[in-house]
Amino acid sequence: MQDVQSTQDTVRPKRPLLAWFDVRSRKLGSWAFALNRLTGLGLVLYLFLHLVILSLLLRGEAGWDAFIKLARSPLFLLMDAVLIFGIIYHGLNGIRVGMVGLGYGVRAQRGLFWTLMVIGAALLVASIWLVFTI
Amino acid sequence: MQNATANQRENGAAGGLWLLQVISGALLIAVLGLHMFAHHFVVEGGLRNYQDVLAYVASPLIVAVELVFLIVVTLHAILGLRAILFDLGLSAKAEKTVNIVLTVIGVGAAGYGIFLALALHALAR
Amino acid sequence: MTKEITFKVFRYKQGDPAPHYDRFTVPCDENTTVLIAMQDIRRDQDPTLMLRHSCHHASCGTCGMRINGKEELSCVVKVLDLGTPTVTVEPLENLPLISDLVVDMTGFYQRYTAARMPYIRQSEFNPGAEPPEGIDRYTRYENCIECGLCLSACPVAGSDAEYLGPAAMAAAWRAVEEPRNGDGKHALNWVDNEHGCWRCHIAFECSEVCPSNVDPAAGIMNLRRKLTGSSLLRLFGIKR
Repeated sequence: MQDVQSTQDTVRPKRPLLAWFDVRSRKLGSWAFALNRLTGLGLVLYLFLHLVILSLLLRGEAGWDAFIKLARSPLFLLMDAVLIFGIIYHGLNGIRVGMVGLGYGVRAQRGLFWTLMVIGAALLVASIWLVFTI
Repeated sequence: MQNATANQRENGAAGGLWLLQVISGALLIAVLGLHMFAHHFVVEGGLRNYQDVLAYVASPLIVAVELVFLIVVTLHAILGLRAILFDLGLSAKAEKTVNIVLTVIGVGAAGYGIFLALALHALAR
Repeated sequence: MTKEITFKVFRYKQGDPAPHYDRFTVPCDENTTVLIAMQDIRRDQDPTLMLRHSCHHASCGTCGMRINGKEELSCVVKVLDLGTPTVTVEPLENLPLISDLVVDMTGFYQRYTAARMPYIRQSEFNPGAEPPEGIDRYTRYENCIECGLCLSACPVAGSDAEYLGPAAMAAAWRAVEEPRNGDGKHALNWVDNEHGCWRCHIAFECSEVCPSNVDPAAGIMNLRRKLTGSSLLRLFGIKR
């Protein structure tokens, strides 16, 4: 299987978390990647949590409506805002990752990022306003 | 050095799965957007109470859309986790194990979600 | 104008339990490069300091280091331009350490060779230039100086020891783009696996640090486009 030499270093073993998330002295692309990874992991966690919470519905009215009451507390709404940020960022940066990854707009990737982020900021503000007013 | 490539790595599914991740991501933008609106943004208080949920899932069309969403989002999540784990530079054996474990988790989660949706739909009728 | 600059230099010798940092103070003027400062330290303060270098003008690609955490050719980085009172100097990441600032480039070169890139390419610059008598046209060589900065800066190379890496895949793309002696299929096949072009997560650090504007990230994306294109065609039963 191995057709290239390993770049493993016994003195300095690989530290994946630092490699992915230590963005000091790194540029936009690394920030975008690190944040994409963080939001992705958060969203996966949320997906499973979401499925577990939905199972309350099978236990009847009392359980679900009690949860709804809890979910409308300010702390939960704040967490909703974080969740929506994650969705919007991951989705919009995902458009860039998909396009650039297919070879489109490679040289325009920075402009693409900021354009998408401006759209994202507007969507985020609108969504958070909805979360707290609806 | 030409023989450095004599034992070429297996191509495997890397490219196909990467493309699947892009396609499922693109689909998610549409379906998750729909989900957010239909479930939260157009609903008084952002969440339906028990009776309203049941009334809502009585529609087979709603259930169908939710099932598509469920399958696409689970696929995207599992492929994402796979990419992160594969980034760790796993051995061929570990890669196989990750594939199996993630498939089980993905099928399990999607299966449970399908059961949930169908059970609620049945409850509503 | 001369200024006393402190250098915090990464140190390691074979057999040491762990690496450490040594501090050296070097008088630097506006022309002192980091490489010169390292050579000054070696000459005046510590002859055991190991480093690699050759040309002193960004052509040979041997003096790559991490300067204040960023991959650079140390021969063209002026110390005072950095603007920090202490300058941290470390060896490149993602290649095995030999000693102090020297890493083992074997894995890097081996990947590069495996991509089978032709070193001579069509000269696309100055097509109107009139070559001297006796020469048909100018010969252009590849831009990549094989310095390894891209591999050091890559977050994926930082976690996957078998990742082919930016330089090798940029070379593979060159072999596809201008195949010369082959058809480029070898290179496409070589990058099409879990440790090849699909592993990249477009952090673009390789292209950011490349001192020769090779833009390895674009090369990797082009490989993907080519592979996706042909796999989509295959899906519809068209072979190319």
